[in-house]
Order: sequence, then structure tokens, then C-alpha cells
Amino acid sequence: MNPSSLKSRFTTRFLRALTKINAHKPISSSSPGPGEIFQRYRRIKVAADKSMAYSVRSRRTWSRATLWRLRTRSPRSRLATHARRSWVKTRSTRAASHGKEKKEDGGTVEAEELRELVPGGEAMDLCNLLDETAHYIKCLTTQLDILDRQECTSREL
Amino acid sequence: MLHRLESLESCNYNGMDVAVLERQAARLKWQQQNYVVQNNNLVELCASSMPQFQGLSGSNLGSGQMVQLKRPEVFLGSGDFQEFVNFPVAGAEFGDSEKLDLVPPEAAADYCISRTSSCQMTALNTSVMKEEREDMVLEKMESTTGSGRESFNKRKPEAVADHKGKNKRIKGEGESEVKTKCSTEISRNSSKENSKASEVQKLDYIHVRARRGQATDSHSLAERARREKISMKMKCLQDLVPGCNKITGKAGMLDEIINYVQSLQRQVEFLSMKIAALNSSVENLPMKEFPAYVANFPAAAKLPAMAGLPYFQLNPLQKESVNCMLNESMLPPQTATEGIASASVSISEQSLSSSSMTQLQPFSTWNMDPQCLYNMYNMGFH
Repeated sequence: MNPSSLKSRFTTRFLRALTKINAHKPISSSSPGPGEIFQRYRRIKVAADKSMAYSVRSRRTWSRATLWRLRTRSPRSRLATHARRSWVKTRSTRAASHGKEKKEDGGTVEAEELRELVPGGEAMDLCNLLDETAHYIKCLTTQLDILDRQECTSREL
Repeated sequence: MLHRLESLESCNYNGMDVAVLERQAARLKWQQQNYVVQNNNLVELCASSMPQFQGLSGSNLGSGQMVQLKRPEVFLGSGDFQEFVNFPVAGAEFGDSEKLDLVPPEAAADYCISRTSSCQMTALNTSVMKEEREDMVLEKMESTTGSGRESFNKRKPEAVADHKGKNKRIKGEGESEVKTKCSTEISRNSSKENSKASEVQKLDYIHVRARRGQATDSHSLAERARREKISMKMKCLQDLVPGCNKITGKAGMLDEIINYVQSLQRQVEFLSMKIAALNSSVENLPMKEFPAYVANFPAAAKLPAMAGLPYFQLNPLQKESVNCMLNESMLPPQTATEGIASASVSISEQSLSSSSMTQLQPFSTWNMDPQCLYNMYNMGFH
């Protein structure tokens, strides 16, 4: 395995986060309730997204957007979220007005959908959006690969 | 100056190419713009250079200097040339004409010739001026769209001294009217250039070549470049997304991409839920051995994402946790087995549907076994 590839970077980070999560939870003698499992699910999902975004650093818009989103999830940073939303709105209107001049309606509708899916895609024109989507898909498949292997491993235990 | 020219002609005629000779003549004249050439001198000059012109054009030159002066027209095959060069019709006015006007016939024809690939422009400061002239000549020759002027203005700031780098040459191949040797050279060059698709080089300006029969204003060129970039990227995405080979068109492709991204995100959520469920059941995980797991991921253990479905055995608590996950996506709570089934079915449903994400439906009656669900999922996915 290439030591500096995206896959290995993501794997090390994700496993580190997993161990932290597993160490974090209180080892109760009784089986954990569904709520706890759900909480752990959330933590694992966040860990997966976060480690993937960190592996990509700030090279991509979607990773920057994901990191921002994760950082400002906590309720105390409502201001930051509000600031980010207004910034995104201004940028998206500008990009949309620039890009919609010569675009047909059908293309715009799907592009909007894609923008919602890809994090940070609201304020991008179609050209960059497609770039981001390609990289995002590649990273998602890597993530899935690792998660799947992890799941198999933990199932075999 | 003229005697110098004649001496040039005499000594170098044998060795040099006719075109080179013409160039030198033009150069000398250009440098001495303040020199007023007399009427007879010009006639002399024209007469002396007539044989060369004749050799090139092959046209039947009549007597009289006006015919000689009109030669560039024949060269360029354009009736507009007269407007460009203020040639007086009567011979008496000839002496009063601008010095610049004296240069054009030879110079312009010379430019024609010099546009051939074999020529080397070693003029001093004449190159820029020559280019300007040439641009204008080109515009007159290619009297197609009104972009001639603006292309000329655009070309001024560009430091394109290379003749092959002419932008926005539209119908270079179509200039069949020009029958001279230079014209064939031009058309050969331009056809070579036009055969390439639109070239985009990253200099100070983006150089894009207009193809034959396409509009050449800056807006449509930029738009075309943008569209080609987008189609290139869509092709790359087609390779990434499985099952997109048959789909043509931007809208369908975007739909497929959207579905794929959605399904990938759902899969991530599902797998992380599985991991959470499994981890909670295994309390004492060997923490230190995790790095070893990294190194020893067996390739055989890599199953497709939903292949685990037939073997998916959750204990009741884990099933309830799956319910929690479904609750999060605003579903009514269901019984345990239905929860799993709807989770998997929802994923397959989303990959089957081509609209935006639908709400997961509660299942009242459900007889599907996991294997069936797995098949359905694979069907919808591929």
C-alpha cells in the first residue's frame, strides 16, 4: 500500500478515530441501548467524513466545506453558521446569475440538485462543480472500501 | 536608394530567391519613407521589378504603369484592394501620392509571398508594421463576418509575430480566387491549421481557432470553449460512474451522477451504522492490533457493499438502533424486521428512481427475503 495515497491517509485517520470512539464509550456490563448505538453511529459517520476531509486537506472545495460544517456544528457557533450561510448565498447568487445566462432550464435543475449533494457546491459554476463531483465520488468510493473492510473485520471478531 | 536597389537586384538575382529580393526591395523603401520618389523613378522601378512579378503571377501585364500598380489586386483577387491603397488613376498624380502608397504594391505582394513558410522575416522594425498591413490585407481578403476589424484590434496587443498563429481565420481554404503561388501557400497553411480542432494555448490571451462555418465573435468562442470543457469533464465522470456508457446527453448523465452520489452517501451511512452496531456488541476490541488490521486487509474479505445483506443477522437491540437511524430520516417507527428491509429497500429504491430523493415508505406486507432484496439492489445499481 502506498504510504502517502489517499487511501492510506484516510485509513490511518479513520482507525485512529474509531479506537478513540471505542475507548470513549463506557463499557457497561449491560448491552447498550439503541440510543447509544445510534449515537455511536453518528460519531462513526462523523469520524469517517472528518478523516476523509482531513486527508484531502483544503485542496478541494468540498473538503473545505465539510470541515467547516463539522467545525460549526456545535450550537455555540451559530454566528459562524449564519455568516457562512450569508456568504454562500451571495456567492451562489453571483455564480448562478453568471452561469444561468447561457444555460437551459433542464441543465440548471439537475445542476442545482448536484450542488445540494456535493458539500460546498452551492457557490460553484458547472465546470468546477463537475471537477468537485469527480473527486468527491472517488473519495466516497475509497471511504466505502475502507468502511466495508472494517465492517468485515469487526464482524469476524 | 533606387540605384542601390537595382544593384541589389543585379548582384543577387542569380543567387537569391525572387521572394527574398522583393522583400529587400520593400524593406529599403519602407525605411526611407521620407524619400519622395519621382514619377519616372517609380516607372523604372516597376519596370525593373516587372519580370519578377510576371514570373510569379503569370498574369498578362499590359503596358502602362497603372496596370502594374493594379497588379496587387490580381494577386489578392480582391476588388477592395484599391480602397486600401490610394492609387491615383492618372499617371500625373503619381508623384504626389503618399510615400506609403508606393510601398504597398510590392510590399503587399511581398507580404503575400512572405507568408509562405519558407520565408524568414529578418526585418528590423518593419515586422510590426508589416503585420499591421498584413492584417488589414487579410481582412480585405477574407471579407466574411464583421469580425475582421475587431480581430485586427485584438491582434495588435498580442505579440504574435508568427504568421501561422493568425486567429480567427475563417475560410482560408475557400480563397480559391487567389491563384498565385503565395495564395496556394496560404491556403495550405490555413488548411493545416484549420484541420486541428480549436487550439487553446495558455499565453496572455486564450487563443482559440474558429472552425469552418462557425461564428467567430468573442462571446460564442468563449461559450464554445466552455462547453467543450464541460463535455470533457462529463466524459471523465462517465468513466467514474458505473453503467453510464449507454447514456448520452447532459441531463441523463447528470441524473445518473446524482443517483450515484446519493447511493454512495447512503452506503456510507449504512456501513457506519453496521460498524457501530457490531462494535457495540464486541466490547473488548483489541485496540493495539488495529494497525495490523490495516496491513492485513485480506482482499478476499472485500465484499460488495450490500453482499452482507443475506448474512445480516442483527440481534434485536441492533435492529432497534437501525430503527433509530430510520427515525432520523423522518420515518414512522416500524417493527424490527421491517426496519431492516425498508432500509435496504430504500437504498435500492433510491437507486432505481430517477427523481429526487423520495420519502421511505412504510411496508405493510412484506414477503421478501434478504436474497431477493440483494438482487433488487444489484439490479437497481447497475
